[in-house]
Amino acid sequence: MAIARVFRFVLDGLYKTAAALAALSLFGVFAIIVAQMIARWSGQSLRGSTDYAGYLMAASSFLAFAAALNHGYHIRVTMLHSLLGRRGGRWAEIWAFGVGSVIATYIAWYACKTVWWSRKLGDLSQGLDATPLWIPQTAMAAGAILLALAFLDNWVRLVATGRHGVRAETSDQIPLE
Amino acid sequence: MEQVEFAGLFLVVLFFLLGTGVWVGLALVGVAFVGMALFTARPVGDAMITAMWSSASSWSLTALPLFIWMGEILFRTRLSEDMFKGLAPWMARLPGGLLHTNIVGCTIFAAVSGSSAATLTTVGKMTVPELKKRGYPERMVIGTLAGAATLGLMIPPSLTLIVYGVTINESITKLFMAGILPGLVLAAMFMAYLVIWAKLAKDYAPTPEPKISFAEKVAASRFLVPVILLIIAVIGSMYAGLATATEAAAIGVLGSLTLAALQGSLDAKSFLASLMGATRTSAMIALILCGAAFLSMAMGFTGLPRLLAEWIGSLGLSKFQLLMALLVFYIVLGCFLDGISSVVLTISIIEPMIRSVGIDVIWFGVFIVLVVEMAQITPPVGFNLFVMQGMTGHQMGFVAKAAFPMFLIMVAMVFVMILVPDLATWLPDHLTLAPG
Amino acid sequence: ARAEGWDMPTAYPASNYHTETAVAFAACVKGATAGKFDITVHPNGALFKGNDIKRAVQTGQAPIGERLISAHANENPLFGVDSIPFLASSFEASEKLWKAALPELEKLLASQNLVYVYAVPWPPQGLYTKKAVNSVADLKGVKFRSYSVATARIAELSGMIPVQIEAADLSQALATGVADSFISSGSTGFDVKAWEYMTHFYTVDAWLPRNVIFANKDSFDKLSASEKAAVKTCGDTAAASGLAQAKALTQKYIDALAANKMTVSAPGAQLKSELDGYGKTMTGEWEAKAGAAGKAIVDAYSK
Ligand code: NA
Ligand code: NA
Repeated sequence: MAIARVFRFVLDGLYKTAAALAALSLFGVFAIIVAQMIARWSGQSLRGSTDYAGYLMAASSFLAFAAALNHGYHIRVTMLHSLLGRRGGRWAEIWAFGVGSVIATYIAWYACKTVWWSRKLGDLSQGLDATPLWIPQTAMAAGAILLALAFLDNWVRLVATGRHGVRAETSDQIPLE
Repeated sequence: MEQVEFAGLFLVVLFFLLGTGVWVGLALVGVAFVGMALFTARPVGDAMITAMWSSASSWSLTALPLFIWMGEILFRTRLSEDMFKGLAPWMARLPGGLLHTNIVGCTIFAAVSGSSAATLTTVGKMTVPELKKRGYPERMVIGTLAGAATLGLMIPPSLTLIVYGVTINESITKLFMAGILPGLVLAAMFMAYLVIWAKLAKDYAPTPEPKISFAEKVAASRFLVPVILLIIAVIGSMYAGLATATEAAAIGVLGSLTLAALQGSLDAKSFLASLMGATRTSAMIALILCGAAFLSMAMGFTGLPRLLAEWIGSLGLSKFQLLMALLVFYIVLGCFLDGISSVVLTISIIEPMIRSVGIDVIWFGVFIVLVVEMAQITPPVGFNLFVMQGMTGHQMGFVAKAAFPMFLIMVAMVFVMILVPDLATWLPDHLTLAPG
Repeated sequence: ARAEGWDMPTAYPASNYHTETAVAFAACVKGATAGKFDITVHPNGALFKGNDIKRAVQTGQAPIGERLISAHANENPLFGVDSIPFLASSFEASEKLWKAALPELEKLLASQNLVYVYAVPWPPQGLYTKKAVNSVADLKGVKFRSYSVATARIAELSGMIPVQIEAADLSQALATGVADSFISSGSTGFDVKAWEYMTHFYTVDAWLPRNVIFANKDSFDKLSASEKAAVKTCGDTAAASGLAQAKALTQKYIDALAANKMTVSAPGAQLKSELDGYGKTMTGEWEAKAGAAGKAIVDAYSK
């Protein structure tokens, strides 16, 4: 049990840290675009700013994938689950989280592979920034790994305890009912 | 009929994955994987990541999370209340009441934002809670919003029109101008539908707004000043050459932060909450966009959209028949693809077809935006449905049913455009930007 | 059925002459192999975006593809040999430069798992402005769209303000004055309807960039001898017909710009000599970056 608690602590810490980095990246996108406009108005230029904004946007999206899953933001159709009743619903959940785990792991695998290849090929951005692409792509790979972990994490909890950890927050976003 | 087999396979796998509760973005990846693995000898996973990285890191997409953040900030200010205080006196007496704020709000915000997802979240964040509070039927709240948000792409600026214009080498400025009148007519049709519905519906019994005099209405309009200033800031920055269409989203964020600061409605905690909410919502949309980018590539490899388009081309149809065929074609394609992918994948085949029967390409740009945007509110793949689902927590079936009347209105709009082509062509023909 | 054919991603619309040349190349290969070897051109960036095409072909995600090769100059300066400003500014000079560079380029591509098939130039790059420009002094302070290292350097040398505008924002940026000037070919100006925003087009013929068509080496090696020969021969035919197309279109586009009331002219004597000066500076800078191989190419070209 102690080990389970350590796992819980580490995993939740990872999801939270990544989500904080994702929010920071989104703020970075905003900051770069504002800086780019101010620079232009004052006759200056920020080399490669549009490329950096793009990298930060990718980082923001991927790093937030896991948190978005755990907070019930990623959407799906769960009509079948309610039709199947409790027992059947649980099997359907095991199936859905299982498929989710497989696909997310598949994405994570190739995201890592592409970072490795970008490094090996010395792939550089074609913009004015000339960034080695493996650097921004690392954020994508990290986010993809975390999403896969989050899916597996929930799948294991579902099988072991019958409950997954996805807690929908839609009612907090907009006060409906 | 090779293409029927392809289409059938895609449909079966997609419905199976979505129906069994697999997350939308990942279900798209699953379908694309099956399609590519079966029909090409290419390395599937590597191509998938290329498509995902390219979609996730694209500059023109940075506007989307920023507009979403803008909506999150505005949602935490008094702006939504104020917009209601300002609009309500004018709309309250109309049959359909404050539901009209959904349509008017989307029309106004469409002039600021280039995508319908951003229009939907921003306006929805402001109107949905207020409308719910006043007891409007949820089905109508959701339906009108999902439908009216498609105006985000009809009324300029518009990502889809940019992509179309760049692809067929037509003037983006002209296309933008062409979208204005049809967008307004469509908004009017949505409102007319609301009026008729309110007259007939039995479950329409919102909390009545207090009765006030004309002078009081005008006085209440002062509450609209902040939202109008914000819109002027965003649109103005674009037309004054201070910002590009993409950068205008950042102006929107700056403006809403300023507003919030002036109202004293944003402390550190709610600022962080707005940023976090925007990050998660953007991530939700980004996962779907990544899946859609891969599916779009897989479709390209299988050649399905091309085969279908070539098949339509081989039928030798008249102008009207061709438009009808394309209407059906894009609705079918829209079951799987987002609007921009539908355009990119098919336009090189469609363009010569429409030119050969003498259809005006500027007019066709608005037509194609209209038909691919209908696909945003049809299941199984419909972005506005997804966003609505994420926002309200309702099942996709419920959202799709709620939006269906709006879909029919858009189909009706297609016929209006065919009957009155001047709607799209008059403005671009009579207004040309002078150089300098 | 499709697995035996090749998919060929390209970034430009179906109506662009580069795409038309690629389609003719595919038809030629099909004809030469009695219909057995089918290449499907996917225009418009529908399969892979322009940015991704070279990497996609390198890693076998696509067996063949087309890319504006100078976009990869960050990776290796040799890829930018066709885009050194004011070095080779006519079709003849450009052909000569390309011939001088080709052995090194083929070697470079081969080291990246790519087989060179053919290349087709764009029309010469001209200068679009919103006012008459007689000397570099007139350009000072003008907001200039810079999208590459070379265009950023030109802005720097001439005292223009470089603004980075992505393709999606270009039309609106020109319409609203976010950018006042840009360098591009007549065909691009025609495509974005430059006359809606700009008044002058100067045929400074800054450089003639090329689209290069390359195949994945592993895919190419799997072809039979006759298929390989068909790809090479049809590539040569495509290069020749693409070049002829580019020459024919250059005048056509210039005429179209003029017909739409733009002032089209060659640069005045002072502007020309100042720009040629930048050319010398930037050629020197390029040689320094590209090392011995680069210097050898420029020497062979200048002979
Ligand atoms: Na819009
Ligand atoms: Na749809």
